Amino acid sequence: MRSAIFLFYLLLMACRNTQIIEIKGSDTEVNVAARLAEDFYKTNATYNISVSGGGSGLGIASLVNGETDIANSSRPMTTDEIALMKKRKIDCDTFAFAEDAVAFIVSSNFPMDSLTVEQLANILSGKLLNWSLLTGKNMTINIYGRQSNSGTYEFVKNKLGIKYTNRAKEMNGNAQIIEGIKADKSGIGYVGAGYVMKENAPSGLGVKVLKIASSANAKAISPLDEEAIAQRRYFFQRPLYQFIKRESVNKVQPFIAYEQSPRGLAIIKASGYYPVPK
Amino acid sequence: MKQALQKIMSLLPAVCTAIVLLFLLVIVWDLFSKGLPVISFHFVFDYPSDGMTKGGILPAIIGTFLLTMIATIFSVPFGIACAVYLSEYAQNTIPTRLIRASIRNLAGIPSIIYGLFGLALFVQSLRFGTSLVSAGLTLGLLSLPYIITTTEEALKRVPFSLREGTLAVGATQLETIKDVVIPSAMPGILTGVVLTLSRAAGETAPILFTGVAFYTSGLPGSLKQEFMALPYHLYMLSTQHQAIEQVRPLAYGTAVILILLVFVMNLIAFFIRYKYRQNE
Amino acid sequence: MKIKLREKFDFVFKQLFRTTGFLTIAILAGIFLMLFYNTIAFFLHFKPFDFITGTQWSPTNDSSARFGILPLLISTCFVTIGAMFFAIPLGIGTAAYISEYSSKTTQNILKPAVEVLASVPSVAIGFLGIVVIGPFIAKIFGLQNGLNALNGSVLLAMMSLPTIVTVAEDAIHAVPQTFREASYAMGANRWQTLMKVTLPAAGPGLIAAVMLGVGRAIGETMTVLMATGNAAAFPRGFLDSIRTITATIAIEMGEVPFQTTHYFALFAVAALLFLITLAVNIIGESLANRLRRFNVS
Repeated sequence: MRSAIFLFYLLLMACRNTQIIEIKGSDTEVNVAARLAEDFYKTNATYNISVSGGGSGLGIASLVNGETDIANSSRPMTTDEIALMKKRKIDCDTFAFAEDAVAFIVSSNFPMDSLTVEQLANILSGKLLNWSLLTGKNMTINIYGRQSNSGTYEFVKNKLGIKYTNRAKEMNGNAQIIEGIKADKSGIGYVGAGYVMKENAPSGLGVKVLKIASSANAKAISPLDEEAIAQRRYFFQRPLYQFIKRESVNKVQPFIAYEQSPRGLAIIKASGYYPVPK
Repeated sequence: MKQALQKIMSLLPAVCTAIVLLFLLVIVWDLFSKGLPVISFHFVFDYPSDGMTKGGILPAIIGTFLLTMIATIFSVPFGIACAVYLSEYAQNTIPTRLIRASIRNLAGIPSIIYGLFGLALFVQSLRFGTSLVSAGLTLGLLSLPYIITTTEEALKRVPFSLREGTLAVGATQLETIKDVVIPSAMPGILTGVVLTLSRAAGETAPILFTGVAFYTSGLPGSLKQEFMALPYHLYMLSTQHQAIEQVRPLAYGTAVILILLVFVMNLIAFFIRYKYRQNE
Repeated sequence: MKIKLREKFDFVFKQLFRTTGFLTIAILAGIFLMLFYNTIAFFLHFKPFDFITGTQWSPTNDSSARFGILPLLISTCFVTIGAMFFAIPLGIGTAAYISEYSSKTTQNILKPAVEVLASVPSVAIGFLGIVVIGPFIAKIFGLQNGLNALNGSVLLAMMSLPTIVTVAEDAIHAVPQTFREASYAMGANRWQTLMKVTLPAAGPGLIAAVMLGVGRAIGETMTVLMATGNAAAFPRGFLDSIRTITATIAIEMGEVPFQTTHYFALFAVAALLFLITLAVNIIGESLANRLRRFNVS
């Protein structure tokens, strides 16, 4: 009986004429990609889009292995990756679909409101181990970061020009970092601004978003400041990329067009990303 | 004094058992009390919506169902054939002992290594890509040693006299196996199959790299597609999702559905085993 | 059907069945080859000595990469030993209770209960670690966050308990009744008999149970991935975040492009995991077999 149902389903599956689009990569982008796919499906039911996270590294690796149509990446490709693609004779198109700001968060009753880039570098590289020098309170700094396959991980590392201390926790995703910080008075972590924007509801965030000053004399800027982002004044802002396999460009064209349509842009904005600055 | 101490010590085993039962109770109580309220007709039959913060988990349920079916189709014939060989044909020679040793070792291999093997073999070498078929076959491989072992045990329990009788009336060995031995052992075989597959349905590590996706719009339209699955959905909702606090109830609901699925399969297996033992 | 045709079928199917048997060897060989082929590829780029003794695991695809597995190995050991700290006494105690103290009806409730515990999927236990055990640990120790080795240990103990209980109970049950009777005849009570006669007699079987439980704990992936915090540094205590071998493979495997040093490194790590679980399972199995031979007498 069960086998009969299954065979019937298999037959149904063989008959459908669906176009499959595979999107893999950045965890920063995975939630907005899922929302876009969901909305796109409402008007284009012949497309079946599957979205996976795993990190920008995974997305590009899949592209290099020829296994995905679109690679979401919150960082540009490294020279190694470009070389590997040349070697495997895989071509791709690059498309920036949104701008993201990386927010540094601490617990909501953290005594400071801003940090300089230099202080951040010292904290994340492990040069500074205790909050006492900065806040006067004797607490060991607990770093909540991402894993090495994360584009956000790479971006912060490269912007600060450091290597992370291996006491930094490597969480499974932005959401776990927020959960960790909420409960940890001595914690500091980095997440995509979109994750803290949505939660900026009157019901209370539970975390505080730090303003960042690019040097000791500069003005500290918040990642939630739309104007500053549009003028590229926030230190940790970056475009979010989609790398598209050359052979799939025609197939995914309707989806890319949808992403740039008013409906798509509205979803991107609602997910906490900024439009790409001109 | 010594007597009193002894009396207290002899309570230890009971205390241990009580703690173990407490573990079980905590699991069942916490998950069910927070998860059952979430379950409704819509939860089971709707698609996820609004960035998976609302709606149901139908694609994940279907995905798990399809995976289990593919694993069954692959591992059951293969497993029964191998068990038949070991039970009915094989002599106690070195090759046979090698086969048994292989099966024992395969049973002990961690599931993530099966995932790697599935990645290397099905996704990359055979170019199936990340898909239902890659993940289903990987789960099939994972289940194989257990199906072989339980089937062989079931076959061994068939009395030898049954085989002798059939051969005596002129049947070939194949016919004996096909028409007499396997049907007699069928309840035992089924028990083993259902139990093994219930385990496969709950596995996450093997499907991580062989085809499970964070989100798919619609239901899988072909075997070469990526899919959603219950165990990964639970993992995703509790660690990767954008708003894990908001979706926590959904995570509980998913956990309950997953556990219910596994429990029901186990109950079916126990029931078959119980009826089987009655008939013996 | 003519006799010749039937006999032909018989022959053909016998060969078919035989082939499936040898295919299982092929599968094991395939897994073995895949792991070691890639491990050798890794050792061409990176010294094995540094791999085994290196104290830093920071994988990248350039020359600054460090692939020392010691932190991962120590993390895995930490969480496994912690798990056994809970699971061994609880497991053997429960097995003793089921075998020696409980009535038939109680047994009929307890044994299925243990099987039910065994059937809970690892991801659900990991989820429990995030929503119940983690916050509980955080509250008790005044920590900010309950994702650490202790959490992992408790969860792994829950997962390996059913294995330990089942095998230990078999072992205890298999001790001949004459042993117990002799002990009672000398005036010992139930507890003394259990501790001084029955359990020692079941020794090999109990060790087998523990080894099989250890094998289960070492190979577990999802539970530790969700509940231990995943910091790849040397843990200094049970309240530290740790990252095990299995979690490392799971986290990093998807990110690596084919045929890079990092890719090979992960296979080397997996090969190590394979060898460790193989060794543990073989020791456990051989001890359990000795138990079975003992039982027949």
